[in-house]
Amino acid sequence: MASTMDSLVSGTLINTKIIEPLKTVDGKLMARGVRRAPLPKFLLAMAPWVVVLGFGLYGAWLCLYRGLNQTNMDNRFAFGLWIYLDLTIIALGAGAFFTGFLLYVLRRTEMKAVINSAVVIGFVCYSGAVAILMIDVGQPLRAWFTFWHPNIHSMLTEVTFCITCYLMVLAIEYTPLLLKNRQLRKVPSLLVFEFELHKVMVVLAALGTFLSFFHQGSLGGLYGVMSARPFAFREAIGIWPSTFFLFILSAAAVGPGFVLATTALVEKLSGKKLVKDEVPALLAKISGSLLIVYVLAKAVDTLVWINSTSPSTGAEPMSFYSHRPFGPWILFAEIVVCGLVPALLLRDGGKRLSLKWRVPAAALACSGVALNRFVMTIQTQALPTLPFDRFLSYTPSWQETASFLAVVAYGVLVYALSFRYLNLFPEERELANS
Amino acid sequence: MFPWSPDFTFDVGHVIFLGAFYLVVLVIGGSVAMAAFRAIRDFRQQRQEAIRWHGDFEDLPVSARRCRHELTGEVRSRTCPNAFDCRECEAHPALVALRSSDFEATAGTGADYGLSMPPDRMYHRGHTWAKKEEDGTVTVGLDDLGRRLLGHPDRLDLPVSGTRVEANGVAIRAKKGNADVRLLSPVDGTVVQVGSLEDGWLYRVSPPEGGLDTRHLLSGAEVRPWILREVERLQEVLAGEKSGVGLALADGGTPLEDLSIAIPKNEWDRAFGEMFLEP
Amino acid sequence: MQSAKKPLDGKTHRYGMVIDLDRCTGCGACMVACAVENNVPPGDPAANERTGISWLRIYRMNDGQPLPETRTAFVPVPCQQCGAKAPCVSVCPQNAVEVDRSSGIVGQIPVRCLGCRYCMAACPYHARSFNWWDPVWPAGMKESLNPDVSTRTRGVVEKCNFCFHRLQAARAKAAAAGSREESPGDYLPACVEACPTSAFLFGDLDDPTSDVAKAAEGKGTFRLLEKLGTDPKVIYRSARPWVRQMADGALPRNGKEEHRG
Repeated sequence: MASTMDSLVSGTLINTKIIEPLKTVDGKLMARGVRRAPLPKFLLAMAPWVVVLGFGLYGAWLCLYRGLNQTNMDNRFAFGLWIYLDLTIIALGAGAFFTGFLLYVLRRTEMKAVINSAVVIGFVCYSGAVAILMIDVGQPLRAWFTFWHPNIHSMLTEVTFCITCYLMVLAIEYTPLLLKNRQLRKVPSLLVFEFELHKVMVVLAALGTFLSFFHQGSLGGLYGVMSARPFAFREAIGIWPSTFFLFILSAAAVGPGFVLATTALVEKLSGKKLVKDEVPALLAKISGSLLIVYVLAKAVDTLVWINSTSPSTGAEPMSFYSHRPFGPWILFAEIVVCGLVPALLLRDGGKRLSLKWRVPAAALACSGVALNRFVMTIQTQALPTLPFDRFLSYTPSWQETASFLAVVAYGVLVYALSFRYLNLFPEERELANS
Repeated sequence: MFPWSPDFTFDVGHVIFLGAFYLVVLVIGGSVAMAAFRAIRDFRQQRQEAIRWHGDFEDLPVSARRCRHELTGEVRSRTCPNAFDCRECEAHPALVALRSSDFEATAGTGADYGLSMPPDRMYHRGHTWAKKEEDGTVTVGLDDLGRRLLGHPDRLDLPVSGTRVEANGVAIRAKKGNADVRLLSPVDGTVVQVGSLEDGWLYRVSPPEGGLDTRHLLSGAEVRPWILREVERLQEVLAGEKSGVGLALADGGTPLEDLSIAIPKNEWDRAFGEMFLEP
Repeated sequence: MQSAKKPLDGKTHRYGMVIDLDRCTGCGACMVACAVENNVPPGDPAANERTGISWLRIYRMNDGQPLPETRTAFVPVPCQQCGAKAPCVSVCPQNAVEVDRSSGIVGQIPVRCLGCRYCMAACPYHARSFNWWDPVWPAGMKESLNPDVSTRTRGVVEKCNFCFHRLQAARAKAAAAGSREESPGDYLPACVEACPTSAFLFGDLDDPTSDVAKAAEGKGTFRLLEKLGTDPKVIYRSARPWVRQMADGALPRNGKEEHRG
């Protein structure tokens, strides 16, 4: 390197091959010492997402202005794409509460490396889900009725209360991140408030864990309590159907996996190493272990359902799987392909297989959860109930799809802006300099 | 929703469910309110500078947070748990007491690399120094490495006479190119006189009523190992991260008066932040 | 809509129906009468059988035999007015659905309905309709609306409530005559009234002297999806074994669904 060395010694400047890093106009908004793409390049990368957001907002506006006839939902498919995807992104956003639980309650300090990223992902997932729900209901302005006249026996009431509270918690957890922005932390009042807010984080993280536990479960309970839909109905453990616990388990298992996958994706897109190796290792181990528990629980639950619950309602369980394209392959896919296989891959920890299988395994697990939510939402409604029913199908309209894509675009934009201007990955600088 | 609402019945379910909800709302609201209340109290107690410094310290990389006793070789490895405030530290007096009698004998005139670190003053980890004068005031200046780094700043904001400064609090702000720099005051006190870079000192304070506490400042034999490490840190900062700049420091020779010439403009921000302990 | 207050005279009724499938011709008069009586808006041009509103639907079944031996039956399916464990009641987040203790009718409060459609997912009889569009009344129709029934807005769920407003009218009439008990003949839902073949029998199932209570115990009666435990108050009867077998099955075999109207 002698020829390219610049000498700090003596008066003459030997400057041969210094590569000037590109300037960024908005450098002052970023954390000191991190490198980000130049502003024009960043804006160019964000532009398509803004377009998608705009288009999606138009689709959503149509649904609000003209009514839900803009969707392809109908009296038989009362729940459609939105409910299904809401459930999925809430399950994926579970990484926020679980990482918080690991860090603040179980004191696994390795999680400091990803907690900020997980909080942003959680915030984006939950705020997006709530936004979609506001469009999905027929009368969004009446949303407060659930609080005013709560039906404590309804799972949906529990979901509403918990998700609202949890979104508040996430917003409060996101605030210190914002306040620690390089320019904002210069403001003394914001600085001091952030300091004090951080001190109460433990309480909020514990509360978030409690709330998440309940609403992940209640989302499962939504389906499990429907005594008149034998496909979805499950036996109760206490006052909760087994789907309550299955949804909690699957969300807790997939949450860390999603954090792992998104971290890897961000590392790939930014070309930087953002977390030390011990972090994805721990996430993979936890995700894999929980997945194994989930797979076992789900297998037991499925067997109970096939042998006891479903026949007691007069239904032959395999008849539910006799309508194309829903066949028994779905059970196999959910439990084995997207359950057991990623669990084993994640738990392998590099002993037999290369570590590069971790991310595809996590993605597979996330797909498994998406499949599970799909089956509970869509298959349940597609199946005939009355003797003179037939199996129905439903395809989302473009307005529905666009609205959901708007949420995805919103998530990407918020995350990208957070990554650019906030300190999402505390280990980034250390890893950059080593 | 409320006990006086028409639908409400005082059964187990309602009490548990709504009780839990109210509890959650209380905890959330209470936490935020408590944080806000404490923040206001912090302001009233003028703790914002201390908070700022503690926040900054937490965000510094581990390599910048080495305990002074690790630098001198007294302990193998120790990250400072007190934001360099040795006045608060329990381990510091214990470790000082353990020092052997010939500890100070190794004191030299300064450091390698031709940096001048006069022994008549005490040094702050942020590269400012404090010197007790005969008339009881304390002079504060920028040490040799800091001075060469900063070179000729575009702008230098010194504290106005009468301002109260506190140790580890922000005393000076400077601007050089794209980089914002802030320098920390090594001591507590009230500013009585203001100098300049050319004068060789920056400001003078009268110490606080309780007397001057300099336990957190480096002096004597501690200075040399520290400054050696600081130069290493500067090199690490500039050599890292695919900047394309590979810098090496040769032994001997005199360093540049304005080191910033040798550092690419876009690296100034990072370099200054690293060396002046601002994340 | 009465909430769970004390009923008028301390006596509770369980209003129910027995529908004779051997009498139903599938004419659809009941569907029309229901729509007119309850101010159901005309369907939007883009509406189809799955997005249009119909509180009462007639399904056609046939016995699967090839022509000319095919036999057909028509099955009117209103809200089955399930019992205490009605699937739609416990799931509504706003307590907008309840089983009225005094009449057994499953009531819906459209002004409280948020439009979440959870009740629709829970109902196995698909008795509930959602207002996917804003009601649009053709010129002059507003004057012909039934003043006793409030119209609904877009985005809420609605369903058959056994013409509860007629029950309220019967109670008012009885109260005006000084009686605390409505006279049985005074209260008949519109569909029951309109049926030209008298396929509907309506009344208090708890009153052993009423025709409907007697018919409910009669031969050939069954309820839809009995095994689900919904305890509906709509009872069907047919002397034809294939009708009972096909309709009584908890879940479908090869029944074909076709709507009327």
